[in-house]
Amino acid sequence: MADRAEFLEKVRHRTQRGRYKPTHAPDVAWTPKDEPPREDPRIEDPPARFLQELEALGGHGKRVTNLGEVREYVLSLARGREAKLLVRWDVPELEELGADGPLEEAGVEVAVWRGLEDFREVAGKADIGLSTAEWAIAETGTLVLEGGRGKGRSVTLLPPTYVAVVPVEKILRTVPEAIEKYAAGYAAGGAAGLPANVCLHTGPSRSGDIEMSLFVGMHGPGDVHVLLMG
Amino acid sequence: METRKPTRRRETEDRRPEGLVSPVEGFNERARRAVRDGDLHDSVELFTNKSVAGRNAVLNALPEAPGLRERAYHIKQETMANLDRYLGQMADAVEGRGGNVFFADTGEDVVRYIGDLARRKGAKVLTKSKSMATEEIELNRRLEEDYADLDLEIVETDLGEWIAQLAGDTPSHIVGPILHMNRRRIADVLSGVAGEELPPDVEALGSFARRRLREKFLTADIGITGANFGVAETGTIATVTNEGNGRLVTSVPPVHVVVMGIEKLVPRFEDLSVFVRLLARSGTGQKLTVYTNFVTGPRAPGEIDGAEEFHLILMDNGRSELLGTEFEEALYCIRCGACLNVCPVYRQTGGHAYGSTYSGPIGAVITPLLKGGKEAKDLPHASSLCGACWEACPVGIPLHDLLLKLRNKQVREGVAGKAQGLAFKGFENTMKNPALYKISGKAGRLARKPLAKAGAKDGIPKTLPGPLGAWTNGRDLPELAPKPFRELWKEGI
Repeated sequence: MADRAEFLEKVRHRTQRGRYKPTHAPDVAWTPKDEPPREDPRIEDPPARFLQELEALGGHGKRVTNLGEVREYVLSLARGREAKLLVRWDVPELEELGADGPLEEAGVEVAVWRGLEDFREVAGKADIGLSTAEWAIAETGTLVLEGGRGKGRSVTLLPPTYVAVVPVEKILRTVPEAIEKYAAGYAAGGAAGLPANVCLHTGPSRSGDIEMSLFVGMHGPGDVHVLLMG
Repeated sequence: METRKPTRRRETEDRRPEGLVSPVEGFNERARRAVRDGDLHDSVELFTNKSVAGRNAVLNALPEAPGLRERAYHIKQETMANLDRYLGQMADAVEGRGGNVFFADTGEDVVRYIGDLARRKGAKVLTKSKSMATEEIELNRRLEEDYADLDLEIVETDLGEWIAQLAGDTPSHIVGPILHMNRRRIADVLSGVAGEELPPDVEALGSFARRRLREKFLTADIGITGANFGVAETGTIATVTNEGNGRLVTSVPPVHVVVMGIEKLVPRFEDLSVFVRLLARSGTGQKLTVYTNFVTGPRAPGEIDGAEEFHLILMDNGRSELLGTEFEEALYCIRCGACLNVCPVYRQTGGHAYGSTYSGPIGAVITPLLKGGKEAKDLPHASSLCGACWEACPVGIPLHDLLLKLRNKQVREGVAGKAQGLAFKGFENTMKNPALYKISGKAGRLARKPLAKAGAKDGIPKTLPGPLGAWTNGRDLPELAPKPFRELWKEGI
């Protein structure tokens, strides 16, 4: 068993023995062998790019203009998947959406992520998970999901079908932009600026472990829908 | 404070008790068997070709890729030079978020910590997300043996790792653990667990695994992950999985344990934007892995899921001995597997021939360094030194150079045998002396005839007799030109 001070002293001693200074900065030109079409670094239309990237990964994306369209999409998806239980984040945006009533009328029970006795029971049984996202990233078709009060991590993970609603003004262009948000958040607010969980979620869950053949929906949702609103 | 002077270990010292999965002896014999295995060859070829094509396409499409590689190298260089400071910072950050930190000198320390934790928690089911660090210390086997009274059920949840676990097999690639198994073999393994015949069909096998592992995710008492990166500044652990098992293992069980090699640190949160992109593009040819998950300490107040208890184990297990030495760059590795995919040796033999958790060029470098012992002496020679590994490495580790330095070290420490040391000394003297060089060429040409008679195919000698045979056991003797270049030059070519 190692004591912290002793452990760090050992490491310090070894970093400072100074017998060798690495000199090999990477100096091999890095493999642009045959030139494929380069990614557009400007990303002139972020929502369009986001939808294009998500579709390429096997996800479903749609641009909508109002909450009514979102309600309709969720309802018809629930019918199509013959859903019995939908679990959703407890956030103002989804309260405002007002989909709970119509879903219940259609025979779909709605569980809201608050005061749950056993979250596994709920999220593990739900057919559909519904959430918002903090950001979306156009370059990669990624959702940036934060943990927090009302924002269950399992909601986005356990149900086989997952729907996220994101306002278009929340779309960032690149991965570094998203990471920079949290780096800056931490610099400004310490722990408060960086939630206990941040997940960059990019398309349906998948595995290629069997002969590199694609299996979709391995452990997370294989059926992923993102509605860009506005 | 008293400064503990690290003892200098010789390479011949056996460090197996802390070691990587053994044995690593006899690469040549295992490689010989592997190249005769046609099925294995097909599987390795399929995997490596697809991986290389995917990686090339997606990296070439990123204009700033060469710059990122440069930055990654320098970030790692800075990290290693100040590793003690960054480790301390990381520990403070994790504790500041209400997590626990444990410093483990050896694999044994890791096993004790997790075993005792499982006992304290009364844990039964432990789910694991793929982690090479825990493979390296054989965590599963040692927990099952040393804590037999707890009757722990330890479940690998990455599809490939789970199948390997069920088959009693070890991963043969850092990224594609069971690329050596075809779907018929996988169907056999899973049928045994299902208690019914499953068809060798990806949909059927994947669906069965999803159902069975889902039960484990939901009932696990402790989740164990490795760390792709740890951020010193914030105490954040980054894990990437495509299947979602990494996010499940950290979100559902009440306790989360991270086993992280001390070299996985990066100083700042923003450094993640360099590394997560390089890892996904180099490892699997994706722009981003499906679940790139950042966990910072236990769940926050008000959260319903996420682990209530967070434990970070910072594991040394031989790594710090590389700091400040000519092998330090081996610690920059981000385990993407790109060097395996391009290596002409790996592509012929697959991963098991290396007899170690880590295969391919990076395995040939770090296994002898972390494990020591004569067992690993073959590995630095399992390379043609072509440098493809270096070119593929997203962090720019000069792998071929490290392999050469390892060979050198072997000769210095007498591991390679006196004959080789003498032979190279002789070679050096010959090369320095034109007269000797001239004579040696003639002697070589004269020796061809008797050698050819002594057992060569096609009248061309392939092996050397006597003690010199050690050199040609693993390679063919090249044919000498009928006329040396020196004479051709004189004749005006």
